[in-house]
Amino acid sequence: MSEEAVKVLPVLPLKNTVLFPYLLMPLSVGRSSSLAAVQAALATEEKEIVLVAQRDASNENPGQDDLYTVGTKAVIRKMSRPNENLMEVLVMGSERVVLVRVDHEDGYLKARVSPSPLPEDRGPEVEALAQAIIELAAKAVELAQPQAPPELTRMLASGDDPLRMCFLLASMLSLETTKEQALLEAASRADGLRLMHAYLSHEVQVLELKSKIANTARNEMSKEQRDYLLRQQMRAIQQELGEKNPEQADVDLLRERLEKADVPDEVRKELDRELGRLEKLPSASPEHSVIRSYVELVLELPWNTFTEDNLDIAHARQVLDEDHFGLKEVKERILEHLGVLKMNPNAKAPILCLVGPPGVGKTSLGQSIARALGRNFERMSLGGMHDEAELRGHRRTYIGAMPGRLIQAVRRAKARNPVLMLDEIDKLGRDYRGDPAAALLEVLDPEQNKSFRDNYLDLPWDLSKTLFITTANTLDTIPRPLLDRMEILRLSGYTEEEKVAIAKKYLLPRQLKESGVSAEQAIIPDETIRALIQGYTREAGLRRLERAIGRLTRKIALRFAEGNTDPVTVRPEDLGEMLGPEPFTQDEIRKSVGPGVVTGLAWTETGGDVLYIEATLLPDGKGLTLTGQLGDVMKESAKAAQSWVWSHAEELGIDPELFKSSGVHIHVPAGAIPKDGPSAGITMATALASVYSKYPARNDTAMTGEITLSGLVLPIGGIKEKVLAARRTGIKRVILPKANQKDLRELPDEARAEMEFIFAERVEQVLENAIPQVAQRLTLLHA
Amino acid sequence: MAVFLFAPPGQDQEWQPPVDVYQASWGWILKFELAGVRMDDVNVHVTKRTVTVSGIRRDYMVESGCNHYSMEITYSRFRRSVQMPEDLNGARMRLDYRDGILFVRIRTREEESE
Repeated sequence: MSEEAVKVLPVLPLKNTVLFPYLLMPLSVGRSSSLAAVQAALATEEKEIVLVAQRDASNENPGQDDLYTVGTKAVIRKMSRPNENLMEVLVMGSERVVLVRVDHEDGYLKARVSPSPLPEDRGPEVEALAQAIIELAAKAVELAQPQAPPELTRMLASGDDPLRMCFLLASMLSLETTKEQALLEAASRADGLRLMHAYLSHEVQVLELKSKIANTARNEMSKEQRDYLLRQQMRAIQQELGEKNPEQADVDLLRERLEKADVPDEVRKELDRELGRLEKLPSASPEHSVIRSYVELVLELPWNTFTEDNLDIAHARQVLDEDHFGLKEVKERILEHLGVLKMNPNAKAPILCLVGPPGVGKTSLGQSIARALGRNFERMSLGGMHDEAELRGHRRTYIGAMPGRLIQAVRRAKARNPVLMLDEIDKLGRDYRGDPAAALLEVLDPEQNKSFRDNYLDLPWDLSKTLFITTANTLDTIPRPLLDRMEILRLSGYTEEEKVAIAKKYLLPRQLKESGVSAEQAIIPDETIRALIQGYTREAGLRRLERAIGRLTRKIALRFAEGNTDPVTVRPEDLGEMLGPEPFTQDEIRKSVGPGVVTGLAWTETGGDVLYIEATLLPDGKGLTLTGQLGDVMKESAKAAQSWVWSHAEELGIDPELFKSSGVHIHVPAGAIPKDGPSAGITMATALASVYSKYPARNDTAMTGEITLSGLVLPIGGIKEKVLAARRTGIKRVILPKANQKDLRELPDEARAEMEFIFAERVEQVLENAIPQVAQRLTLLHA
Repeated sequence: MAVFLFAPPGQDQEWQPPVDVYQASWGWILKFELAGVRMDDVNVHVTKRTVTVSGIRRDYMVESGCNHYSMEITYSRFRRSVQMPEDLNGARMRLDYRDGILFVRIRTREEESE
């Protein structure tokens, strides 16, 4: 060590690093003050300079306060200038010094430095620490560079000054400046060693963590590779043994099925291609199962499978009659089609739409049509379907893609000419995903459905041999173009006689069988069934009736189960005890009606109904008040009726002053049920005529018909239901529009025989028949 | 780990001049490359088998008013020790400086004329 006393030397401030004694360090010098300092150092014989770290690396003009007080005196070994403003300097640290004073002079920093010789304390702690550091260093080297030559650690251990070893290590680790500076300033060897030990331990921990992460990654990778290798080997072994791998066996099985399958050439080619792709795919690939299930579906479809139609018309008629009572029109249409098929086997199948209230047997009719024809029957409900893709399928590129419901139904039907029932076509939904009704347009068009394309199947499928039967409760919600493609067959509600007949023939035997009671054990006469229909059901169809009968048979079964052995006869008066009080009271004819109350007839989805239209004068009131949840058409119809009555006041014997002095209020009960339509026109006209003239209308007469301002009576719909409703209530006299006379053919014979029908062309005729006093007056007038 | 430069352990921070060693019938000739070193600044020291040459190379050529533009010659202290294969105790030594080379002749055997 140099023993010279205090010296003044140029200072080179260091950014982000510390030079240790005994170490060589290359430096790039760019700052003008530093360039000047180096220049000054080179101008001396000793070429000595002091290197000291800056506290803040970003400071471009450090002064005394910005520098650490302990630095290293160094000798400049070599210097070169890559360009004018930069010096590359190689310095050799020679001695630790303390900067006593730093001045800025001649354009660079000068420091008065006094030597600060490195400590040379010895002792067991120093030795132990030195040993520990060497071990840690060896570990660090091994972790960081497993291939590093062992010389490095040996070299570290060979030095006699442990602090020097620390300096060397510090220059190898990229430590922060503060840590390096702390090491440089170490007051004793022990201090320096302790610092180094802490730094190294941290470094080793980091390295260990790093290598652990790297190892985990490597392990994961190698497991996959291992699996792959094993699989390849297994394949090789299987090949050696002459066995096929499972995937290949799978494909071969499918190929075999394809050989045997009766499919068109186009389909065979497509499947061949798909199987080729399947062979090349590993079974783990998600594509594999997609292709597999596609091929299986295509193979399962009945490409050329037909069921043979039973063209025996007598047999078909028998089957239809067996299953359903009445429904003449529908049965006739089915038999027609059968006849056509007999004459022309290539005839296009019709698309039938069965419309009627719930429970009239639309769905079961479909089944018996299939039975009559000897075809397979499949049914799918369209109710609530709102996604076009559900009908037409998803393209196979989508995950979890499936064929549409139509193709699935065909697959289940196992024949290309099934009877396919599309239930609840009036309840199709629609939303932003598309309109299933639009997709149905293609399906239900005999001209287009020869080559129906399902998105999933992606092959044309011939639907033209499929007999489509759709069902609906109402035609109002079916889109026009769809409606246009279908042949509408109406199933109106059953009459009471029909219901009794159906109950006896079908419902009662079925429910008895369900309950395990024999026909001999339970005797249920017709009157009881009639009482059930009247008191416990109010419907056009038969579902509630069947449920009521079911409850009855269960009660009977319970009696037998409790030990009764005698046959049970159920009389109408027993029903109250067995089924509880009647939920429906039969609409009775209103016994006495004052002026302004008239019996009307309405059509509802569950059949017909009788309703009373009530009108009353409002003394000192004004205008026309309408209540009872009436729709716009009905309101307008009321106004037309009022206007007609006003304009014919004299003929009807009405005091014209009444119109001026009082208003009128028309109410249609029941007030909670919305009503609309023009068919109450003549009823309201009669009510108004009655209330203004103060003559009551006949309470045994019901009426329905649309009115015009000129007094014409126009035809309306739902005649059968309305007339049956009137009959149910006990009204035997009905006024109908003349134009509806033809509709009476739909009525059962006994109803026609029992009732009196009056056909009106003009409102006057209606009034004549509805209000006796008006009739007299009109006769007088005409006389 | 970072690239590191360091003086080989066992050597001090002084620079080391290169040396050639010749074997003669009478002893050894050591040839140190010490251009630009004043003989007054060189110190040769022999102990047993070790010959050590140390000293300082001063940058004395510098004319006043000029600066280093680059520097490849290493100045300041140098030290070089050479291990010899035989004991040099009692050997005679002669120093000779010519053309920037320091010759150290070490006569270990009395022998025929030079």
